[in-house]
Amino acid sequence: MTEDFSPFLPLSPAALHILLSLAGEDRHGYGIMQEIARQSEGQYKLGPGTLYDNLQKLMIQGIVEESPHRAVNDDPRRRYYRLTRFGRGVLAAEIARLEGVVREARVHLRSPRRAT
Amino acid sequence: MTRTLYRWLLWLHPPVFRRQFAGEMLWIFDEVSETEGGRLLLFDGLASLARQWLLRSGSWKVAAALILGLMQVSAGGLALDLIRRHSFAHIAVSTPVARMPINLATLIVIAISLVGCIAVAVIGLAQWVHHFSTRRIRVSRRGRLCSNSAR
Repeated sequence: MTEDFSPFLPLSPAALHILLSLAGEDRHGYGIMQEIARQSEGQYKLGPGTLYDNLQKLMIQGIVEESPHRAVNDDPRRRYYRLTRFGRGVLAAEIARLEGVVREARVHLRSPRRAT
Repeated sequence: MTRTLYRWLLWLHPPVFRRQFAGEMLWIFDEVSETEGGRLLLFDGLASLARQWLLRSGSWKVAAALILGLMQVSAGGLALDLIRRHSFAHIAVSTPVARMPINLATLIVIAISLVGCIAVAVIGLAQWVHHFSTRRIRVSRRGRLCSNSAR
């Protein structure tokens, strides 16, 4: 069965960064914030308010879920999150969409039309 | 001091959000404030508070109702004032107010326009809320269904 991800696209920048940070491994909230800062080389920083607002929305949509993953000597307040299979599909669809945008942009930037 | 303020801010969030995320947000505050200071997090907390109450919890509907109510009261007051001026125009001819009497037809047009504007605003808002809420429910249901079927 082919899933239709179009109602979820395009993702907001915050949601895209959160999904990207969770694509590699399960992370807790602070880990997500640090990974986003690392991936964007410090250009995109997410505050806890924005992070958890987006996480709540993504969990309601079934894109992200809480993970039972726990490390030894972990702070009990920490909770881990992971992508669902559906969430991975949404992320892949968004990346494909962005690839299309980049391809189109490259074509237009390479051959600029002159105004007549 | 900033930690206490941040805790208060978290406590003021809607209960569902607070129960789910407040503990973790405070833990992040403890981690981040040691290195970067807590002032930015306080602003983030304030923005989150406004967002959660106004956009996510549906309280904006109360705010919209309040604004519409105020509009109605103002329109009612204005109409009453116009009627009063019109009714007493023949008694106090010398007062500056009575020098510009309003014709009854104008008064009726103003009243109808005001009621019409309010009705259009209410209908428009109701349509928008309906569209917004049904779309949100549809999207979240579809996501959950797809997520469950993928497991």
